Amino acid sequence: MRAWWRGTSLVAERGLVENLKSRSFKVLTGLLLLLSIAAVTIPQILSAGGTRYTIATTGKAPGALVSALDAAGRSADFSVKYISRADANAVRLAVHDGDATAGLAGGTLFTSATSAGTFPVVVAQTVVGLETTRRLSEAGLSPQQVAALQSIRPPRQVVVGRVDNEGRAGAGFAVGIVLYLAITFAGTAIATTVATEKSTRISEVLLAVLRPSQVLVGTVIAVGTVTLLQLLVLATPLAVAVQLTDKIGLPTVAAGDLGLAVAWFVLGFALYAFLFAATAALVDKITEVNSAILPVTIILVVGYLLAITVVAADPNGGWSIAASMFPLTAPLAMPIRWASGEVPIYQLVLAMALTAASAVLLVWVASSVYRRALLITGRRVKLREMIGSHARS
Amino acid sequence: MGLEIDNVAHSFGDRLALDEVSFDVAPGVITGLLGPNGAGKTTLMRIMLGVLSADRGEVRYHGSRVGERDRRTWGYMPQERGLYPGMPAGGQVAHFGRLHGLSRRDATSRAHDLLAELGLEDRWNDRTDKLSGGMQQRLQLATSLVHDPTVIVLDEPFAGLDPVAVESLSETLRLRARAGRTVLFSSHQLDLVQDLCEDIAMVDRGRTVLLGNVATLRASSGRRQLRVHVKAPNRDWLLAYPDITVASDQADDLRLTLPPGIDPLEVLDAARAAGRVVDFGLDLPTLSQLFLRAADRTLDPAGMR
Repeated sequence: MRAWWRGTSLVAERGLVENLKSRSFKVLTGLLLLLSIAAVTIPQILSAGGTRYTIATTGKAPGALVSALDAAGRSADFSVKYISRADANAVRLAVHDGDATAGLAGGTLFTSATSAGTFPVVVAQTVVGLETTRRLSEAGLSPQQVAALQSIRPPRQVVVGRVDNEGRAGAGFAVGIVLYLAITFAGTAIATTVATEKSTRISEVLLAVLRPSQVLVGTVIAVGTVTLLQLLVLATPLAVAVQLTDKIGLPTVAAGDLGLAVAWFVLGFALYAFLFAATAALVDKITEVNSAILPVTIILVVGYLLAITVVAADPNGGWSIAASMFPLTAPLAMPIRWASGEVPIYQLVLAMALTAASAVLLVWVASSVYRRALLITGRRVKLREMIGSHARS
Repeated sequence: MGLEIDNVAHSFGDRLALDEVSFDVAPGVITGLLGPNGAGKTTLMRIMLGVLSADRGEVRYHGSRVGERDRRTWGYMPQERGLYPGMPAGGQVAHFGRLHGLSRRDATSRAHDLLAELGLEDRWNDRTDKLSGGMQQRLQLATSLVHDPTVIVLDEPFAGLDPVAVESLSETLRLRARAGRTVLFSSHQLDLVQDLCEDIAMVDRGRTVLLGNVATLRASSGRRQLRVHVKAPNRDWLLAYPDITVASDQADDLRLTLPPGIDPLEVLDAARAAGRVVDFGLDLPTLSQLFLRAADRTLDPAGMR
């Protein structure tokens, strides 16, 4: 075992160094970093100073309306600009031409068909509030009594749905997205590495010293580490932004759910990594890699779509249960199903065990394919040739 | 006691690639595994290195079956070269040294020594795919020798080399053999390696057809050849020797195979009586002639009958 690990770690070390030095890694990682920084900062810049609304009124806006709207703007992070027009028609025109977000003329509130947002509602509520206060005061209520009436709040809303716990649901969807991204990045890299070793015949030199499982596991570790680095690069600007500002709200996730998410990520990554490796060992020329790994990519995409549509919509339907147990879709489907809070623990354990067992089985299959495919060159190896006879893996 | 190949058999489906091949490879001498293309040489070497497994038979080293631990101290250069194209030359050699169990420091210093020995010392930092074909060949050799292997197995190391490279590779192998290493290489160019091999194992169609020391095999073949360039109007003077067969007859080069009972000098005298002898010599049979006879092949590219 120690000798096995020594050889494996040497393969991994070499792969890691070569990957980190490669131009494509530097370019891709730089691009990811830029994208990530852009994704975090651009919305911040755009929303800096809050949203700005414009309201048009006939004549100068009443002081009570201005102070009430400004107060609402301070608490909801928007600012209001006031413009005055001669008559109701001019106010209507201002809204129509886009000079104002909303227009108030007598008893009419003009709103734009397109970009009004919630501002007209705020204006309407403010107008109603002001008028109510005025009438209540006229009816002889003291300012304290008016204030007491205004402090009445609607009942607190609680959404009752499938999601038991927002943090857990977030973690579930995050595993799906991150796993999908990671496998898409890494799958091609793993397949290319394996196919390069095969087509340049390095595999024969390697197999004289190493077992195929050492070569494959080492390669997967190397590419996996690189992918993890890229994910960290992708996540760093977000993490920095969360630390520096309080504008990005992330749901808090329980440590247990986070651990489960990581476990699913590792399992899913290993499973697909070895699937890509085994597939790549079948090709003869490096140019055939993309067509060879297409079926695996399709399985991944279908699994992901299944997870975010069928499983998310009906976590306990027959299809959802099947998808969350089947090893190739379990890492994508089970975390989302788990968020419903209605998954029996035995199903979770069984799904994990099945996925882990499949990953180990795939190491063995991939090793056997790698060794046997080595001896067949000049054409694509058919899967049929790989099954049936024996080989040391 | 060196390396023993004992009744090794292997088939690919219905095709028998190796049919119970047996021979020994002694340490300290250079042994050639010779035979035409498709004879089973590569398959045998792959089995020795554990890349393939034998259907029957086994390979023993120092009397016991070869295992992974033994093979880690061996060096193997496959027929189809395999190097990481994007790695620097020195790092590549050091990497294979470490795969064979050397520490990082030892691997680096041995890689430096070896690149110097092979004339690549100023290429340490060059990317492998930027090296010329000949340099890549030498780099491949370096990756298989970096850990100072006890057993060196090279599959067709001379294929595609120019005469200078053949000589320098031969010298590298002689050095290793003289240091007591076990050196086995394969070749289908029998006459090219005739002077390098001390022992040979000839295989044909998966069977061994000739084994032993090259000098002994050639001397004891009983098939000496008299090469004579004689300015005579015809070959009538040969009629006095019915036992002599003509191996080849070209304008300036007549080759006669002499049976054991005939004195070559007597034949030379007969030739001189017939005309002026410009050039002559007594040759032992070449390895390809030995092969053709041993393998009982009638087709003869080298000019035998």
